[in-house]
Amino acid sequence: MRILFYFLPKLAVAAITMLGVSALVFLSLRMIPGGYADVLLGPFVTPEAREAIAVRYGLDQPLLIQYLNWLGALFQGDLGVSMVTRAPVLDEFLRRAPVTLELALLALIVALAGGLPLGILAGIAPPDHRGGLLARLVGALGASVPDFVLGSLLIFVFSVWSLWLRVGGYVGPIEDPVGNLRVMLLPALTLSLFGIALVLRTTRDAVLRVMTEGHITTALARGERPIDIVRLHVLRNAAIPVVTVVTTYFGFLLGGAVVVEVLFSIPGIGFFIFSGLENRDYAIVQAGVLIAAAVFITINMLADLAYALIDPRVGSGRH
Amino acid sequence: MSHIVTCENLVVTYRASNGPVRALDGVDLTISEGETLAIVGESGSGKSTLGMAMGRLLPAEAEREDGRMDVAGQPVFDIAANDLRELRRDLLGFVFQNPMVALDPTMRIGRQMQRAMGRRAGSEEIHALLERAELDDPARVAKSFPHQLSGGMAQRVVIAMASARTPRLLIADEPTASLDASIRDKVMGTLCRLRAESGASLVILSHDVHMIARHADRVAVMYGGRIVEQGPTGRVLDAPVHPYTRALLKAAAGHEKPGDWLTPIPGTPPLLSARCAACSFEPRCTVSEENCHTTRPEPREVEGREVLCLLAGTQTEPKEAAR
Ligand SMILES: Nc1ncnc2c1ncn2[C@@H]1O[C@H](COP(=O)(O)OP(=O)(O)OP(=O)(O)O)[C@@H](O)[C@H]1O
Ligand SMILES: [Mg+2]
Repeated sequence: MRILFYFLPKLAVAAITMLGVSALVFLSLRMIPGGYADVLLGPFVTPEAREAIAVRYGLDQPLLIQYLNWLGALFQGDLGVSMVTRAPVLDEFLRRAPVTLELALLALIVALAGGLPLGILAGIAPPDHRGGLLARLVGALGASVPDFVLGSLLIFVFSVWSLWLRVGGYVGPIEDPVGNLRVMLLPALTLSLFGIALVLRTTRDAVLRVMTEGHITTALARGERPIDIVRLHVLRNAAIPVVTVVTTYFGFLLGGAVVVEVLFSIPGIGFFIFSGLENRDYAIVQAGVLIAAAVFITINMLADLAYALIDPRVGSGRH
Repeated sequence: MSHIVTCENLVVTYRASNGPVRALDGVDLTISEGETLAIVGESGSGKSTLGMAMGRLLPAEAEREDGRMDVAGQPVFDIAANDLRELRRDLLGFVFQNPMVALDPTMRIGRQMQRAMGRRAGSEEIHALLERAELDDPARVAKSFPHQLSGGMAQRVVIAMASARTPRLLIADEPTASLDASIRDKVMGTLCRLRAESGASLVILSHDVHMIARHADRVAVMYGGRIVEQGPTGRVLDAPVHPYTRALLKAAAGHEKPGDWLTPIPGTPPLLSARCAACSFEPRCTVSEENCHTTRPEPREVEGREVLCLLAGTQTEPKEAAR
């Protein structure tokens, strides 16, 4: 009941946000100089040819009509047709989504596996502890090394000494699970370094904050062992900020990691939207941003739900 | 009479960012089995530091520089972590100022009670203990989260948790200060009743002179990290000897309502960074003399209590009525 009342307004807000995003995407794309005709027909396009293209794709209509047409089609599950390949955009996305999803999951797993334990350790270890130093080093590295730098470095190293892992030459996980892992591991690792640092720092700060809370003193005063204090009191109380950044990070990964996908030639959503933008293929970019926004909003709502499950005070009106 | 607490020349310093703060400047104190001792003093005099030191619950930046604290015969600052945990679990019980802070907001009361009572405690035992702390609907309380309770109820839970394993020493740091004035007496009554049932010793750290007068057998007055006067409650409150105790009582005397906090005395208490080589109250003292400024007072027996004042009990002491 508490969770329902807390959740319903958030659903309404999400719907409004989606509408806003759709309008924004639609408008901003039409603000970019150069249109589809320029890309398709080259710089020496005649006005007649340009006209013909515009009529063919409805680009001669008033913007509002174009927008409403697009929205109407969206509600029927029609994301439009790619102007370049003529294939329905939805099909193209569905074909690429599993690739990006796999990459995102791999990166998330690595980020959690690295960031959580190091963050907890850094939060509870005394300042001169060796694990704490390692955590600080990883945190600083992850926050300061951009993904294209790390990616380029890895590509260089693994192109010279193949070392089992492969750069480029994507194969699907169904045809060749091992080969798929060999291709996906490096981009996932590249993507996860930032995630490790993000999770690590957030976890450490949250743990440090909880450790100074009064109920930890109470637990110490009744003679709890340190491991039980961490397990029973620290983790749950520190979880909310960690859930926030982990979900945001995952949403960011699912939206398509453009740089890393392009760098490693991974045919995922990021790569797809990137080429769509290059070709002024409106339908693809519009749909891509909209899907990314929908994924992001859904994930944030799941995070809101997680907050309510973690902290009994959330949504109870007394905080 | 045996002692549950023996504290000898205890010195505790906080390493703060703007230099060290010597919160305890050589505390000598003994607490007998079964007695109720009140420790009073202005804000910053070191009460909480002393109370927490009894369970070695000081924050990481606090350091014991000198002296010792024996609780139930064990030197708390020198025993192994395991022994310390057992001591805290089996012999000590702490009640903190704000129960909403002292309870884990994400864990149900019943579960927290069980952690305090031990794994074998079933819901019947938990309910029985909550009932002993005068919580009327123990089943509902056990199912609640802390934010669903009133402050008074939450403090009763904390009191129940502190008494869960029949401790021999209860330490209550301003146990009613965060509560509504109308329920302070009742909650204090519960604490004292549970103490009496177990025969534990009780240390109350408080500003509230009237509450102390009602409940404490003995009073210790703290100033500048030392105990400047200690003795039987009646004797200390009715005929204070130390100029600081007098000022403290006078400040509280005007508007005698239960629950009133002491109004401050002119001047500010000292913030020590090193051992005080004189009487730390001398700058605010109205009767001080030349050597108060140069000599560190040591405990002396005056009129049936222990006092840290060079002038107490001497001819030069101006006799003034405390009340
Ligand atoms: N964690 C800390 N870091 C630095 N200084 C501290 C810390 N805790 C306490 N102190 C200082 O130590 C001195 C004694 O503090 P303590 O909390 O023991 O006093 P108190 O008598 O309990 O005061 P109050 O009535 O305000 O609770 C104060 O000067 C305080 O500023
Ligand atoms: Mg205090």
